[in-house]
Amino acid sequence: MSTLAFAAVTDADIAALRKRNPQAFSDPFATTLKVLSWAGIILYLAWSLHFFEIGKLLSASDRVWMLLRRMVIWQDMASWQYGNIYKGIAQTVAMAFLGTLLGTIFALGLAFFAARNTMPVGIIRHAVRRVLDVFRGIDSVVWGLVFVRAVGLGPLAGVLAIWISDMGNLAKLYSEAIENIDRKQVEGVRATGADTGRIIRYGYLPQILPVFISLSLYSFESSTRSATILGLVGAGGIGMIIIERFRAGLFDQVAFVVLNVLVVIAVIDWGSGLIRKRFIGERGH
Amino acid sequence: MASVTTNGPQNGADRDPVTLFEGHRAQMIRDRMVVNITLVVLFLAFLAWSVWISRFTPDRLATGIPRIFEYFGTVIPALQWDVMFDARNEAGRFPAGSLGYWYNDFWKYLRLIWETILMALTATLLGTGLAVVLSFLAARNCTPYPWMGAAARRFLEFCRGVPEILFALILVFAVGIGPLAGVLAITIHATGALGKLFSEVNENASMRPVDGIKAVGGSWFEQMRYGILPQVLPNFTSYALWRFEINVRASAVVGFVGAGGIGAELSHTISFYSDDRVTAVLILIVLTVTMIDLLSERLRHALIGKENMK
Amino acid sequence: MLEFKGLTKQFNSTIAVKPATLAIPDGQMVGIIGRSGAGKSTLLRMINRLNEPSGGQMLFQGRDITALKGRELRQWRNECAMVFQQFNLVGRLNVITNVMSGRLFHHGFASSMLGIFTAKERAFAIRALDRLGMAHVALQQTDTLSGGQMQRVAIARALVQEPRIMLADEPIASLDPLNAKVVMDALRAINREDGLTVICNLHTLDTARQYCDRIIGMQDGVIVFDGTPGELTDKAAREIYGAEAEEAFSEAMTSTALRPKPAAQPEARVVN
Repeated sequence: MSTLAFAAVTDADIAALRKRNPQAFSDPFATTLKVLSWAGIILYLAWSLHFFEIGKLLSASDRVWMLLRRMVIWQDMASWQYGNIYKGIAQTVAMAFLGTLLGTIFALGLAFFAARNTMPVGIIRHAVRRVLDVFRGIDSVVWGLVFVRAVGLGPLAGVLAIWISDMGNLAKLYSEAIENIDRKQVEGVRATGADTGRIIRYGYLPQILPVFISLSLYSFESSTRSATILGLVGAGGIGMIIIERFRAGLFDQVAFVVLNVLVVIAVIDWGSGLIRKRFIGERGH
Repeated sequence: MASVTTNGPQNGADRDPVTLFEGHRAQMIRDRMVVNITLVVLFLAFLAWSVWISRFTPDRLATGIPRIFEYFGTVIPALQWDVMFDARNEAGRFPAGSLGYWYNDFWKYLRLIWETILMALTATLLGTGLAVVLSFLAARNCTPYPWMGAAARRFLEFCRGVPEILFALILVFAVGIGPLAGVLAITIHATGALGKLFSEVNENASMRPVDGIKAVGGSWFEQMRYGILPQVLPNFTSYALWRFEINVRASAVVGFVGAGGIGAELSHTISFYSDDRVTAVLILIVLTVTMIDLLSERLRHALIGKENMK
Repeated sequence: MLEFKGLTKQFNSTIAVKPATLAIPDGQMVGIIGRSGAGKSTLLRMINRLNEPSGGQMLFQGRDITALKGRELRQWRNECAMVFQQFNLVGRLNVITNVMSGRLFHHGFASSMLGIFTAKERAFAIRALDRLGMAHVALQQTDTLSGGQMQRVAIARALVQEPRIMLADEPIASLDPLNAKVVMDALRAINREDGLTVICNLHTLDTARQYCDRIIGMQDGVIVFDGTPGELTDKAAREIYGAEAEEAFSEAMTSTALRPKPAAQPEARVVN
């Protein structure tokens, strides 16, 4: 068989090949489906952007530029009350730490009630899980607002908000870790005639403790992020300073605070990664 | 603890392997003790500092906790069984204690939840599109120029470092109150989060197909489109669906600063009324979030299942 | 005519290809042999500039191809197709799309991003597949094929480029003897029937002897042999392969010749 140049392929050749290999040419059904789904996505986007009034972005462009300019040009840096800012950041970290610690302690207890292998009674297990779903399903900012209403402005509401949402998250993750443990080791402990408490202490804990610590560290990282915004609803920490200065139109200071918060969060991520690698990694094997 | 005395190595039996081992072991335990005690002390110091700086003292907690229960007492709906399912009376009102009374604004809530979901969907689609493009620039093995890759990675870090609600606060000031600010804020954050995940997926893709496309004379765009994209598409889809779940939660909250969705209503009811309207909105939000989680999880499993069949 | 004038490649401190000067007339089938690490692959990948030369010049029909950039470089890559040891196909696309990707150079931005190919391109791709006996798998996902089938698909992709030179980097190193023969026969058919220059890296002597018009031997980045298969005596081959000669010769048995392997010699045992 000799070759044929691409330019020399005639319509007759195409027709002949199409007849011999009909499936190799584009399938009209598949093509239509593909075109329709892309058209659907594009139409939806066009419609929804219209629905959300994208035009406002264009008409507000000079406002956006003004805002950006005032965020980048820093003025009167001597009067920025740095003490307040860093105290706010410290309070945010402290809120996240206390909230995660309390969440961890309570999740430790709840997790055993939510795991299939430690809580054989289905009704209790499901009830605990649904309650946990509620704790998790409501964002920590909403909890923050609720607790501000209940106990007043300030970091106490923030700690409570992180506590409750971390408790929900961690208890779910912990219970999954408990469900994934190695059965044989538990059986070994049970075979020695140990009671429930001892089975948990010697059969479960050695396996799950590293996982738990690792999960709690992750949770501390993400809580620091959520703690920064809890202040926006009045639940203490740096968020309160951000929103105060934003409302006062001090956009350069807001930009400065946000940059500082980003640095602190990066440091915490780095530090907790270090702890995980150094200690959990060692204990893991 | 092993029954080992510290004078073991000094006496004549220091060549005895058991003594050597036990001495070594004692040393290890001592070292570990030092580390552990330091850690515990650090932990306690940090705890004390946290308690002090956030003024989280037991007496505050003791006065606060009863108030929480008090508050939850006021927001629980006072449903009465005998009138629970009653319709509107002659005056066009639901009797107190009925479901209709509790959910008087049901249709308003539903419209706002619908808006919330649309906001999350639009932001997910826009964010995914931007993240796909940026992930090819940011991935170390794909980027056309190293400086461009570094710039893209810094940009993505910034986008995912700043919380949605903060972007929303700023955007509400810029473009005005309404869902547009929320959509844009969530889009920016989702772009950052997805862009990072996508670029990691790209970095794990095989470069052989890229070499193949390069050798047929394909441009950078064609190398990415034919060499990388087919490999990473299933992962991208799964991550985008997962992000949709997160975005629904986020779009229920950005309303707190005026950026549209159910959040504004929730913030309003919590701040101004402490009655059963709070629980009415909260229950609807939890139901929506849970339903979308379940749906998206099912979809993701179907996707992954289909992948494994091939 | 493809000419090399003092072409060099240096990776950091090691020199992979020392100044090479060669002229390959059109329509020749050239085999490059040598131990692994001798610089064969680097030399071949410099021709279509997947590896950038560190010095020297390459000319094709008198045109300098070492200095090409951007679209001109891509055009050159389109003109000299390459077949890889690991096929380098896109596993998750179907066979025909992989073959049609050989025509990407001729596409505009939009049609290539949207993956739109014309009926004419499909017909041409099927023809190329048919020539290699692979038209029946046109719609299969590529990573479900065997190695030999994938290499034939890769050759079909190279063919739809309508190249003037075909480069093959160890095309049969990952294949079993039967598939190796099919692939080498296909490459030779392309050389004979289409008059394409074929430059092929091989690590087995008998394949090179059997299929090539001209054999180039490389050792440590230097061209140490350049002649016809007849001139490649056992002595010359031993020089190319150096100390590893025995190993290379026995490796040659696993190639296209389909000769039965000689019964393994029982290893001499050291008796204490």
